[in-house]
Amino acid sequence: MAESFIRNEDFAVFVGALIEALPVYAPVAKRSRFVFERLEAPEELRLDYDVTILPPKKLFFPPAQDLIRFDEAGARAALEPTEKVLFGVHFYDVKAIDQTDLLFSERNFDVNYMAHRQTTTIVASNIQTVSQRAFFASVGTGVQPTGHDAFLTAVAGGYVFETRTERGEALLKFGAFQPATDAQIEEAARVNATALEQCAEKLEQGTEAIATKVRDAFGDDELWSDLATDCFSCGSCNTVCPTCYCFDVQDTWNVDQTSGQRTRYWDACLTEDFAKVSLGEGATENFRETRGARFRHRIMRKAVYLNPKLGGPACVGCGRCSAACTADIADPVRVINRILAS
Amino acid sequence: MEHQCHWTEVENIFLPREATIVRVEQPTATEKHFTLKMKDGRPMEFEPGQIVELGLFGYGEIPLGFASSPTRTESFDIVVRSVGRVSKAVNRLAAGDTVHVRGPLGHGFDLAQLRGHDVLIVAGGIGLCPTRSLIQYILDRRDEFERFVLFYGTREPCLQLFHSDLACWREAEDVEYFETVDVADPTWTGNVGVITTLFPKVELTPETRAVICGPPIFYRFVVRELDQIGIPRENIFVDLERRMKCGVGKCGHCQINDKYVCVDGPVFSFADVQDLEEAF
Repeated sequence: MAESFIRNEDFAVFVGALIEALPVYAPVAKRSRFVFERLEAPEELRLDYDVTILPPKKLFFPPAQDLIRFDEAGARAALEPTEKVLFGVHFYDVKAIDQTDLLFSERNFDVNYMAHRQTTTIVASNIQTVSQRAFFASVGTGVQPTGHDAFLTAVAGGYVFETRTERGEALLKFGAFQPATDAQIEEAARVNATALEQCAEKLEQGTEAIATKVRDAFGDDELWSDLATDCFSCGSCNTVCPTCYCFDVQDTWNVDQTSGQRTRYWDACLTEDFAKVSLGEGATENFRETRGARFRHRIMRKAVYLNPKLGGPACVGCGRCSAACTADIADPVRVINRILAS
Repeated sequence: MEHQCHWTEVENIFLPREATIVRVEQPTATEKHFTLKMKDGRPMEFEPGQIVELGLFGYGEIPLGFASSPTRTESFDIVVRSVGRVSKAVNRLAAGDTVHVRGPLGHGFDLAQLRGHDVLIVAGGIGLCPTRSLIQYILDRRDEFERFVLFYGTREPCLQLFHSDLACWREAEDVEYFETVDVADPTWTGNVGVITTLFPKVELTPETRAVICGPPIFYRFVVRELDQIGIPRENIFVDLERRMKCGVGKCGHCQINDKYVCVDGPVFSFADVQDLEEAF
């Protein structure tokens, strides 16, 4: 659509007006790190964040989400989506949201995710600080983010605000925007390009070469077992991943013991019992019994399996898994580069 | 992305339908055979081999294969083995009780591939439940198929399911039925041995379409026998079991490499899954 400009001195008023109008979820500081949270005041907003602990997918796919509620009269949907703004999302997280949008809507349309997604206006923002473990510049470079309604870039004296959809346009009325100059638009492009030059970690080859070589390594049990030697099977790499969307479903009763809910909870394929079934009489079968098999499954999911569907890898290079892994073995860059080198 | 439809107009894939239990039988110490009827009067329309999520509020859902043929539209059957929280609770229910079902889900037997051919079904243990849907279908539409051979194996005689069906199949002319048990008891007069000991009893042609459903260990040995007969791998169909939560291709539990058993299966051509290391 179009590029606008807002001066630094008008920016807080704009954010304040947004907060007045709608719930706004944005990066805020939590001790030394950052999280997406409901913004209470403009000064809480931290667009200089490097990466948030959890990705913004939690807005559409919460860690615990009721799918249905039931009582003696039967079951009904538990959906109560409300209009909201997700503000300050880095482009790698928008790419991840694009992926979960597709995965939750294809084949069987999952309204429990999509209703929250469809009631959300996403404002992306440029990366002002690059996280130590990020590698977004070298992963899935053929795929561009598309799900954001507007893109905010910090430039000299203020912000360039590029609107991409009607939802994005609708935000202009909340602030003192003016048309951006060509110089400001060029500066914004430069600023965004600069962030890509600052990743400390880098995949050595492109998406297709990686997919081929990682798939070819499938049968190398020694490799996978070695990579996963220190794995605690804790699932932290899954929990912090913006493209992981596996879940468990559990029923719980309310205190009245007649009503309750069926809830989905984030689940993790690295945990030991993720693919385990009971055969009865105490016998079980675990279809991914070893740590190596589970570790391999995650890497295959990120680098190989979903590529045909997504047009690129199911990894956006945020580096959250690398940082979250207690044993520091989850880093996709180290795993993939090792396979590429072998 | 383009959002085609507004959320309020879309069906919630997790919202179940009510069904009434119209009959309960207990064929073994741990299994119950339920006959269900949809409460809204709209029959469950499914293909043999498809899945239904059986739910009990407050306990959860379990995925099961339909155990009766869609040619019998009045009601449908399922068999539940008491193994976990949900199945144990379901198996305490009685006729007249209500359950909640979602389905049909997944991809069943490709009947077009079986019609006009000899069909061999090899069922082990509880694997007879989803295959019973196909067995009944073939028997109900017998003219559409050529020769029909059925192998059924259980560990012990007391683990056999569908007793009246078995009695009927033993006498029937339209199915060549063979059964075995791994370990006999004093009442057993039939074949003793693993499922593969039934193969010498019948001459099968390489054109036969084969269907296999049984415990994980079962497939490798049965496929070896089918290889000997010369049945091509693409004419062998397997019905796989996995941990499954959502049944709609989202939750990830049932994945075999890049395939979701709940939507791509549970029935696969053996040729499609034989090279997947996690399949068997």
